[in-house]
Amino acid sequence: MAASPKPASFFESSEAGAADRELQRKLENASSRHLDHFAHVKAEYSDYEEERSHSRQIKEHAIAHLDELIVELTGKLKARGCAVYAAATVEEAREYIVSVARNTGARRVVKGKSMTTEEIGLNPALENAGMEVLETDLGEYIVQLRQEPPSHIITPAIHLSKEDIGALFHEKFGIPYTSEPERLTAEARARLREGFLNADLGITGVNFAIAETGTLVVVENEGNGRMSSTMPEVFIAVMGIEKVIPRLADVSHFLEVLARTATGQKLTTYTNFIGGPRRDGEVDGPREMHVVILDNGRSTMLADPVMREALYCIRCGACLNVCPVYRHIGGHAYRSPYPGPIGSIVSPNLVGAAAAQLPFASTLCGACKDICPVNIDIPRILLHLRWKEATRSDLPKWPAPAARARAGARQFARLARHPSTIRLLGKIGAIALKPFARDGWIKRMPLPFSNWTGIRDFPRPRPRRSKISAHED
Amino acid sequence: MADLQAIVARVKNALASGAPAPNHAAPRPPSLQPDGHRAELVSRFARELEAVGGRIIGPVTPEQLADRVITIVRERGVRSIAVGEGVLVDLSQVGKTLSESGIEVIRTGSVDGSTRPESRKQLARVDAGLAEADYGIASTGTLAVLSDETRPSALTLLPPVSLVVVWIDRMKADLASALTALGCAALESHRLTLITGPSRTADIEKRIVMGVHGPKSLDVIVVWPRDD
Repeated sequence: MAASPKPASFFESSEAGAADRELQRKLENASSRHLDHFAHVKAEYSDYEEERSHSRQIKEHAIAHLDELIVELTGKLKARGCAVYAAATVEEAREYIVSVARNTGARRVVKGKSMTTEEIGLNPALENAGMEVLETDLGEYIVQLRQEPPSHIITPAIHLSKEDIGALFHEKFGIPYTSEPERLTAEARARLREGFLNADLGITGVNFAIAETGTLVVVENEGNGRMSSTMPEVFIAVMGIEKVIPRLADVSHFLEVLARTATGQKLTTYTNFIGGPRRDGEVDGPREMHVVILDNGRSTMLADPVMREALYCIRCGACLNVCPVYRHIGGHAYRSPYPGPIGSIVSPNLVGAAAAQLPFASTLCGACKDICPVNIDIPRILLHLRWKEATRSDLPKWPAPAARARAGARQFARLARHPSTIRLLGKIGAIALKPFARDGWIKRMPLPFSNWTGIRDFPRPRPRRSKISAHED
Repeated sequence: MADLQAIVARVKNALASGAPAPNHAAPRPPSLQPDGHRAELVSRFARELEAVGGRIIGPVTPEQLADRVITIVRERGVRSIAVGEGVLVDLSQVGKTLSESGIEVIRTGSVDGSTRPESRKQLARVDAGLAEADYGIASTGTLAVLSDETRPSALTLLPPVSLVVVWIDRMKADLASALTALGCAALESHRLTLITGPSRTADIEKRIVMGVHGPKSLDVIVVWPRDD
């Protein structure tokens, strides 16, 4: 059950996803269940628009004062005995964490779910250094057993059915096959509890960092974040620079909003407010605590007036669940720790050139913007990134059809400046296409037009299309 | 800390070169809900707690508490229990009564380097944990629990059966009110955990399963003195 070799490009990986009907069934299942939960809990609250505009204001304000807030936060953390390390790149973050693990003689590492550690590629680095890394979120544990990356930022194993997981546990642990979620969960609990009690180092991400009190807030349902941050002697929290919010009074709003949009809960089961290592006399909590603050392209996003709002994201994953493209191709196709609409806008900045194609993986339908709890205009940023990519001075060699498409668009732009020519061509086209039409649709054409009709039908052009219908699509 | 200064400088530059800062001041914090009538708060709390798979017990008077705990403990098949220090309720009395009725009781307390491993082992071994929450939050059925040397976080995490006591006057309308009541000072000196129901997951086909890593059951006992 090893991971399949990485496809060469987004086009290949998305094609593989698009061809997988079983995957789509699982994604439809899970995302519609999620949207039901969300609708249910949303109905109980007053005004979603008002709520998200409040979230938005807090984030705008926080990001506009990010430099001061980072200083305030880290000052408080250091005063309580935390080691703070600011990493400019993923390499720096990786090296620091591996060196902490080495210096403390850690051999067994337990991790809470953290997309930031996926971003920095932490697990392979720790494993190469001879450490045993155990993902402890149930979904992460499952995908780790399959040697796969997570395919959703909230529900890492969303691409697997309970039967898949039953077969996996049967194969890996030699237990009798079962597809009952209760029994599979009990099996994982027993195995992971052992891991927690024997771990030397715990690592989690951070959802919010409160500057005013110097507190890291970690949100979760299972208790593995609590375990990872209190059981091992050494604890490392990893966060992007954008997670800082100013005051304690701001956090309750975000906790409620995040729970609702991420999982359709009123509040997640556990919210951990962590301020530092354990104090004298305490039984639990780490002896040593480190906080890694990661830039890795975030300050570049901050400097770009259009990109900046992408830093307001609270990583709720709701935009993935509503996205028709995500639901069709699945998270792995994006080949980034951040898939879906939000992934398509942050990945080119955080993961680099490998993700340059992602902004094109959208129909611009705007469902992501409609559900976003901080009102991020994802379609606008997608267009901005497409424009940036298309106007790059070193135009990419990928894919050859793109170069042809650009040439075609230039040709069209020339023609479109002459309305009379366009109208004439339209009329000729309508007449030429007429013999191919059946019931108002053109479904089959000879080469080279079959490149189009092989994939989708084309409505029969009609004389005198109204302005409204011309605006469609 | 050259690394930190460098990042702060980069952020400052980015802010200066990027979009103009939005010209609104810090948004006002949410207005606090009045706490309302205590009976209403308790019934809302009970409803929300049950919706997330917890169970509400009470209200009971401080005098009835020990007996009630024994009933729950028997019903849950608990033979050993770790008992933390109370906030307003005297849990040592409850511990004594539990112990007299034949249940093994571990009292949590300050440890040092030599006693910590043993203390942790005990917490990982017992069937149940009894703790008192600092606040209850009615609108979400949540408990806010601070930890310190006599009230380790593990009390409400490691044992499969979790019992939490909350004093009626500590019931708040919503999360914002509870955090305001706790205040910044509490967060600066303690770890705070918000607990909403038993540990759970929805990672397998989004189906909810209780008791992944933490407690499989959560019983909350509301203590309400008779005299008011």
